[in-house]
Amino acid sequence: MSMTSRILSGLRRGMCAGLVAVFALLALPEEAQAQEILLTGPLAGAPAVRKQKLYRKGRFEIAPMVSFTLLDEYQRQILIGGRLQYNIVDWLSIGVWGASGAVKITTALSEDIQKVNAVRRQFPNSDDARLTARNLGPDFTEQLGTIDWTLAPQLTVVPFRGKIALFQSIFADTDLYFFGGPAFVGVKERTNCGSGEQITSCEVPESFALKSRTAIAPTFGLGFTFFLNKFLTFGFEWRGLPFSRNTGGFDNHGGGPNNEFPDYKVNEQDREFKFNHMLSLSIGFNLPTNYKVSE
Amino acid sequence: MKKVRIALLVAAICQVPLVASAQGKGKAAAAAAPAEEEAEEPAEAEGTEGAAGDAEGEEGDEGEEGDEGEKPEGGDLGGICKVDPEACPKLDFDKEAARDIKEQVYAVQQVFVLRARRFELQPFWSLTLNDQFVSHPGPGLGLNYWITQVLAVGVNGTYYEPFNQDSEFNFQTRRAARIAVPLTEYQWGAALNFTYVPIAGKFAGFGDFIFQYDAYVVGGVGAISTRPIPTVDPDNRSFAFEPKLAFNAGLGLRIFFSRWFAATLEVRDYIFGDKIEATTVSNDPGLINNASTWYDDKSRLTNAVQAQLGISVFIPFSFDYRLPK
Repeated sequence: MSMTSRILSGLRRGMCAGLVAVFALLALPEEAQAQEILLTGPLAGAPAVRKQKLYRKGRFEIAPMVSFTLLDEYQRQILIGGRLQYNIVDWLSIGVWGASGAVKITTALSEDIQKVNAVRRQFPNSDDARLTARNLGPDFTEQLGTIDWTLAPQLTVVPFRGKIALFQSIFADTDLYFFGGPAFVGVKERTNCGSGEQITSCEVPESFALKSRTAIAPTFGLGFTFFLNKFLTFGFEWRGLPFSRNTGGFDNHGGGPNNEFPDYKVNEQDREFKFNHMLSLSIGFNLPTNYKVSE
Repeated sequence: MKKVRIALLVAAICQVPLVASAQGKGKAAAAAAPAEEEAEEPAEAEGTEGAAGDAEGEEGDEGEEGDEGEKPEGGDLGGICKVDPEACPKLDFDKEAARDIKEQVYAVQQVFVLRARRFELQPFWSLTLNDQFVSHPGPGLGLNYWITQVLAVGVNGTYYEPFNQDSEFNFQTRRAARIAVPLTEYQWGAALNFTYVPIAGKFAGFGDFIFQYDAYVVGGVGAISTRPIPTVDPDNRSFAFEPKLAFNAGLGLRIFFSRWFAATLEVRDYIFGDKIEATTVSNDPGLINNASTWYDDKSRLTNAVQAQLGISVFIPFSFDYRLPK
């Protein structure tokens, strides 16, 4: 047995043991299950699955993907990209997910803020205009933080493989997978401003321009794959991409006790932790186009 | 000695119909497992997975033993006729063999869990999916009665009041932009629902063990009690909870760990017309404390999408299969 095989075998046994422990905690035993374990006859000792179609093992997958962000306060995004991965065995893959924040849609809240902001800016000496001058630029929707691109090498584990029956007549093989890895995220957010920064005032229009940076964050999630034929799949997955960013371009932190008050600067301290949920849909193409079958 | 032999042979003949009736009562037929796999997965005949480790296999095992006892008798009918011509079967076996067998073959045979005429108790914890301003988690309980294998009628309720969480984001937006977002908190929700199961399947974990699941759609009507959280004029406004008519629709996944115990994951959208706080305050000091000025003129259609994580307990715990595999 090679070193790689031993490592894979160990990983597999560990995950099996973990899952069994979880199920054992969740499920109370019953008589019928005890009978199932005590099988006799030709099924005794037989594998749970025979002649399984190994849709993944030794195959590359190219999957164009569209991802929709969830729970956004100011701006929703649709990221268009794809996943490229190699399936080392049927239950373990390495790959990379990349996407570009192609579509940005402001929420009703952002539009409401901008409506109020536009009226206020006609009366620059009003209290509301003065008090919000460093937080609201000429167009609020133009100062919102965005995710421009992502690139995430990731490891995918496929512990569950099965089938689905729709109305007891349409069948599809399917699997449930978990993935995780580091993500490099191209972010745009409001440029730094205030004393000590290149732009010393946060009330001038230039301070509301956006600046790019690259954030590094963990990414993880789970998904379903539906095998439509020998080489084509449909996928649905949820992804979390948690990291801190300033989505509204506001000065919220940096002053007072525990930095919980505004400090007349916009900088790293104004970033808020966001979980950045996404739902993705994909169509996968598997190469070579045919799969292997287990014994 | 001759009489004993005759008695044994007659007994052996009698065994044949007994085996057949055992199949009809749900005991698996001889060699049930391979036949069942073929019937269950007609589209996968070219080489696919076959479940051998689940309950179906258990019953198939019993059938296997019956099969072994069946073969010798079947091949010795000539001997019976020689020994006792009166006991010789009168059937024309060629004709019987050529007769069409109108056996009903099910796409999915002998499902792991029979739900029909059972109750399902469903405690769950609800989480908000689409309200970034106020989250409304809370415990809930559902009770379904399964009229058929795929259709249930039931009720569910969720208690939200002590668990509403006003996001810090709201405060920060108010402070930074001096704009208040109308907020709502929930007290309770209850609904009458119908559940339909169009999707069933099974998963193999690492190819070593098998578990069953089903997916369902659910919909119903009920009420949800809500009130605005005063943010525009919190010094003068105080709102009472009021129930509103609420419709709901959702999708769920039920993963069975046994024939009466399952984990559930459900996403449900509760749709209702909500009364929200007015974003303006009357200039007339006499009207500031008038509750009729506190609400916005228009009600807002709210979609409260919630994930409900829970367990299912089916009662009674056990059941008998009525149909053959």
